[in-house]
Order: sequence, then C-alpha cells, then structure tokens
Amino acid sequence: MISIRNVSKSYENAESAAVRDLSFDVPTGEVVVLIGPSGCGKSTTMRMVNRLVEPDAGTITIDGQDVREYRPEQLRRRIGYAIQGVGLFPHWTVAQNVAVVPGLLGWERDRIAERTTELLDLVGLEPDAYGGKYPHELSGGEAQRVGVARALAADPPVLLMDEPFGAVDPLTRDRLHVEFLAIQDRLKKTVLFVTHDMDEAVALGDRIVVMRDGMLVQQDTPERVLAYPADEFVASFVGTERALKRLSLAPVTEALAPVGLAEGCQCSVSATASLREALARILELGVPAIGVHDERHRLIGAVSVESIVERFKRPLT
Amino acid sequence: MRALRHIAAPMLALGAYLAVAAATPLWTAALGAAFPGETRILYPDAAPLELVAQHLELVLISSAISIAVGLALGVFVTRPAGAGFYDVVNDLTNLGQTFPPVAVFTLAVPFLGFGLRPTVVALALYGILPVLRNTVAGLKGVPAEVLESATGMGMRSAERLLRVELPLAAPVIVAGIRVSVVVNVATATIGAIAGAGGFGAPIINGLVNLAPAVTLEGALLAAGLALVLDALLGGVEHTLASGRPSAV
Repeated sequence: MISIRNVSKSYENAESAAVRDLSFDVPTGEVVVLIGPSGCGKSTTMRMVNRLVEPDAGTITIDGQDVREYRPEQLRRRIGYAIQGVGLFPHWTVAQNVAVVPGLLGWERDRIAERTTELLDLVGLEPDAYGGKYPHELSGGEAQRVGVARALAADPPVLLMDEPFGAVDPLTRDRLHVEFLAIQDRLKKTVLFVTHDMDEAVALGDRIVVMRDGMLVQQDTPERVLAYPADEFVASFVGTERALKRLSLAPVTEALAPVGLAEGCQCSVSATASLREALARILELGVPAIGVHDERHRLIGAVSVESIVERFKRPLT
Repeated sequence: MRALRHIAAPMLALGAYLAVAAATPLWTAALGAAFPGETRILYPDAAPLELVAQHLELVLISSAISIAVGLALGVFVTRPAGAGFYDVVNDLTNLGQTFPPVAVFTLAVPFLGFGLRPTVVALALYGILPVLRNTVAGLKGVPAEVLESATGMGMRSAERLLRVELPLAAPVIVAGIRVSVVVNVATATIGAIAGAGGFGAPIINGLVNLAPAVTLEGALLAAGLALVLDALLGGVEHTLASGRPSAV
C-alpha cells in the first residue's frame, strides 16, 4: 500500500502551493487514478512517491516503510515508472530498453534476456520481431507498450504511471486500456495512475482521487464520483455526459427486468455487456426493450429504457 | 562492421597522404616542374614527412587538451551544480577565440620559452570553444522525457551521463571536435613563429626568402592534412549519427 499523509509541497517563485496537506492511500493491488486539470499538483504528488520531488511536509510510506529511508536510486529501482512521451532511450533497442532496471539491479544476463522476452510477450509485442528494433522504428502505440514493459521489468510491486497512454489516437488508447486491465488482473500491482481524462480514469481506476489547486476534492469509486460529484467543480470536470459514463460502468444484469418485456424482439445482448451498450442497441433497433442472454445464449431477462432509469434512481452504496 | 563503412575511405586517404609526404623526390620533381628556374624548391631543414610529424605533434597534443577541457567544461555547466557558471564559461571561451593566437604566443613565450609549449597552449585555448559549444548543445538536446525516465528508473547521475546523455550527444560533440581539429591544423602553422616547426616553417621560410615553391610545399601539406582529418572525423560523426538515431 502507498500511503500519502498530510503532504505539502511549494515551489520557489510559485504563487500558491503545488500540493496542500494531501492525504490518501493506494491499497495494495488496486489502481488509484489521480485526476484534475493541469497544474492541480497531480504529477507533483506522483513524483514525490519516487522522490523525484521532495515534499516540504508530510510522510509517504510504501508498505509501511517511509520512502525517505531509502536512497533515491534504490527506491526508484523498486518502483515501476512510465511517463507521457514514454522516454525510451533512442540509442538502445527495445530489448535493451526493457532491460534497464534489471541491468541496474545487477541481474544475470540470461535472466534479463528471459525476462525481456516474457515482458514483450505480455504487452503483445512479438519478442523476435521487436526486441532488436530501435524506438524510432515503433508506432506510438508500440512505443507505449514498450514503456509499460520497461516499467514492469524488475517486477516491482508498485507502479507510477503519468499519462502513459497520452500520445496515441483514441482507438489505440482504448485497446491499450483493455490490455492494461488484463495485465493488471493477472499481476495485481499497486498502481498510482495520473491523468486529466475522466474517461481514462473511469475505465482504469478502482478508485479516483480528484484534485484541484493542490488539494483533494473527492476520493471515491468511479461509479460514485460520477453519481455524486462532491461539488460544482467535480461535476463540471466529470462532464455533462457523466450519466452515460455511469452506464458504461454498470453491467446489464444490474437493470434486469422480466424476459417478457422483450417479447417479439429477436435481439439480445450478452449478460457481460454494459448498460451503455444495451441502450445503444435499443436506440439503434427502435425497440422498447432488449433481451439479455447468458454465455449459453439462454435468455435470462430483458433491459428496457424504464429499467435503466429505475436502476439509476436507486442510491449507490 | 557498420562502423567501418564510413571510416575505411578516410583511413585509405590518410595512408595515401603519408605515402605522398614520404616521397621526397616526388615533391622535388613536382614543385621543380611547377616553378622552373627556381633554385629553392623544398624546405631545406626538414623533409616533408618530418614536417608532417612535427605538425601532427602540435595538433594532436593541443587538440587533445582542447577536447578534454571542452568536454569537461561542457559537462560541468550542464550539471545542476555548474549551471551558474554557464555564462562565465561561455564568455571566457568566446574571448579565447577572439584573442589572436599570435598574441597568445608572444605573451606566453616569457613564461614558457620558445618552441612547442607556448604553441600548444595557444592552440589548445583556441580550440576549446567549438568542442565546448557542441558539448553543451548536444547535452541540452537530449529530450527531457528521456532524462526523466532515466532518473525515474533509478540511474545515478553518473550512470545517466555516461550511458544516456553522452552517447546521445556524441554525434553533435564529434561535429564540434571536427571543427576544432581542422581549424587547429591551419592555425598551428603559426607555431613556426615560436620555433615549434611544422608546416609553418616552410611557409615562413618561403616568404622570407622569396621562394614560392617552399611556401607552396608547406601549404599543400597543411591543406592535405586538414582534408584527411576532416574526412576521418566526418566518418566518425556519420557512424555515430547513423547507428544511433538521436531522437525518438
């Protein structure tokens, strides 16, 4: 667990503090997304965890150990780090880039080679085809995959990610999100993720921490941040489409109505689909309701516009 | 093998240059034919190859000092600790280049005597600027996100400098070294004034004795060496730039 307690930081020549008395946790194995407009202190906060920035006050601990007890280099080699723009070393191959931290930690050559192959596989890059390429030969999406592989290289328990999927087109970005979630499902890293994009935060976060002017405004699950924004600022930041974003977080099974509703309609969606997908199908087909089937294609219920509205009247726990 | 591709031809050129310089009879015949009726054809005190050796000694020692000092200063002023000295160092080296080398000789002779030493000092001072300027430009040209990720992954500052910054800056730094060395080959001819020998000796000898063939001997040797060293360092620069792309 990363624990941030009463942390403050001011920069010289700055009018106001970058971070003010900030406290929150990143529970072990979870993804906490730090979000806010530019200049809100989210990157500064993240950079204090691996001591690229030293706080003026407060304490940051990882698994109970104060980060100041480590030498900065030792600390950073135990924390995966992926940033916007990726920052791959242009004079090294993909394999050499991935091998940086294991190399710094003094792993043996064979173990590094094995690990590099394993990681390129993990991020969906064919090791034989990509290991020998130079960064300038990669597309934006490939470079960001290498960035993630490099951050995971020494199997650090903690990952810091500062808009690591920032510089790619929306389609590639969505695919990287899906892959990231699949990897996270397997590896269960403790991840502090920084972004200014609410869609990304909702897609990836187990919890969301909203910051403004160096202070914490709200911290909650994505679902609750969308449903109950703490104030005007959060409401405007999550955007006018927050209801639609909520739909994409909720599976159809949460608004299940009796099968009879969808009678006469030959169409259905899978039980794993989101309410957003179900609603889109309803609008597309111009029907009042749509069936829901399980993995064996048996109808288990239906979803209608009314059942979706009812679902959103229920308070969240 | 890729490294050899750009360097093989300049190495051959260097070999050819030395072979031609060693063929004294060739020089007598060629310059004799170019200046019929002249009695003074070649510099009397040293054969062409000896002049090459003297000149190379001047150039190699002074350029080695220029490169070492230029690199060290360039690295120093781009570190956090040395950033405050950037302007001072820049001004001093600019001054070093505007100050005529002849004047440096004259001022250095009372302290260092005649010959090699004052010449090397003047040439070394004169050659620092291009190396320093390009070292700074090369290091400052390393993308910020590359530095950020190097530090964030736990490289110490020395590791970052040696493994990331200098390799990425290398093509630009070598370009500066190339300028410094080539200019040095020409400038070193005035070392003859302080009695340091080299190609300046026949040039001045020809001037004093109204013997154009002797001056041309020195000038041709100097031009040839400058061309060969330029090509050689150009090959090194090219190898570094092509094998290691300097930007993402």
